[in-house]
Amino acid sequence: MEEFKSLTLNTEEISKNYDDDHLEFFKDKTICLFKACLEQFYPGIRNCIKNLLEDFELNVTTCIEQSCCSQTFFQRNLITRAQFAAINERNIASIDKIADILLISCNGCYNSFLRGRNFLNLKEIREKTQQILKGFNGEILLSPNLKIVHVLDFLHLIREQLGERLKYTLEGIKCAVHYGCHYLNLTIDNKDIKSYIAPKNKLEDLITVLGGTVQDYQERESCCGWGASQNVIHREQALQITYNKLNSAENAGADLIVTNCPTCLYTLNKFRSNLSKNFGKKLKIPAVHINELIGILMEYECDQYCLDRVSPLIEELKV
Amino acid sequence: MVNKKEPKYNWDFFNRIIEDIDDNRNIIQCISCGKCVGDCPASKISDFNIRKIVEKVLDGDESILQEEDIWYCFLCNKCSRICPKDGINIPLLIVGLRNEAFKKGSIYAIRHLKRYVRMCKKFLENGTIMDESDLTQERINEIKEICKFARIKYLQKASQKNIGIEE
Repeated sequence: MEEFKSLTLNTEEISKNYDDDHLEFFKDKTICLFKACLEQFYPGIRNCIKNLLEDFELNVTTCIEQSCCSQTFFQRNLITRAQFAAINERNIASIDKIADILLISCNGCYNSFLRGRNFLNLKEIREKTQQILKGFNGEILLSPNLKIVHVLDFLHLIREQLGERLKYTLEGIKCAVHYGCHYLNLTIDNKDIKSYIAPKNKLEDLITVLGGTVQDYQERESCCGWGASQNVIHREQALQITYNKLNSAENAGADLIVTNCPTCLYTLNKFRSNLSKNFGKKLKIPAVHINELIGILMEYECDQYCLDRVSPLIEELKV
Repeated sequence: MVNKKEPKYNWDFFNRIIEDIDDNRNIIQCISCGKCVGDCPASKISDFNIRKIVEKVLDGDESILQEEDIWYCFLCNKCSRICPKDGINIPLLIVGLRNEAFKKGSIYAIRHLKRYVRMCKKFLENGTIMDESDLTQERINEIKEICKFARIKYLQKASQKNIGIEE
């Protein structure tokens, strides 16, 4: 049986082969934006990346046939591994019909696509998945054309071109970064062990391109506190992790915390009043998704909720 | 002196949890170094101790299924990154243990399920947990087909009975 290889787009190869302009690789491709559930609270995440891609004259689309990634249900044992893989394969087959690249702005969804595919390498799960898909004439695509890329890997690849187009910069603003566990501790992308254990610094590189200063802090690698719904089932305890993270960044002197995951963003923002109540300190540091931040610096129309979070900083942004 | 409980070496339990999870093919080689506990978020806020959990699994001690500890894991994968051994995947081990706990009727397995009732209903009705869905009914039926025998489907029914998971 042929191995089900990861569908991850090899950005390192693109940077080697398209030395002058990495964007060239994407010119004749269609890029599909995956709709992550928590983007409904932060519409700027998808709108800003869509505007950016259109500015670069790339073909962008979304897939009306996509379902949610269903990771939440898998993590809570409400669906089996085969059912999870089937949902994943259904999405891959639908998106493969309309696009060459699937761009994902959420760590959870990204992880789901890689994990679901990875499960197929187990005979028992593969056979069950095939059986489930047969129920509606669906099938597992052995080698789809579709490649999957995380928005952070994509933005890092095109950072030079991005830097040339900025309307504003982050000059004078100290940014703390939060990668999120399912990006930072990912074991199933196509990278080798060396790059897996090496420090990850793509967000830092991007902050530098955007003109900001990177502020290190003790809890840089720690979880946001969502913890695969620990925030839902053990909220009071999980909020301790959220508080530690934000407090550590704020105490280190960061003006802003930048993340690449909507779920982390939700956790870092949504529970501020609970944190004040539980820990007696009102944390002021705003959290923003990297897509939203780029949107602000590109002067795209952002939703009010995004502007409310970062408005104290906007006046400081320099042309 | 505290007497350590005699290990049961219950291979049946061990096999049930590990057998079809290739990612955990080397878990028997765990050296109990405890690195996984060091920076574990769940260990910071609860008694969750992955070293002890792995020890119990290897000893064949099924009592772990009835304990609350396994429900504290953040599934953050940090332990997998830190673990010096290849072929050990703690988050998948935990998902496997939780699945077994479900089958054994652990009270912790159903304790917080009511918070998922609405989300599950939305997913089965719309194919997404978002408020708006672009999916046609034909496509939504595919999701229903996939979830035909899944717990997600029975949660809705169970929530209407008075067993502690009503909305």
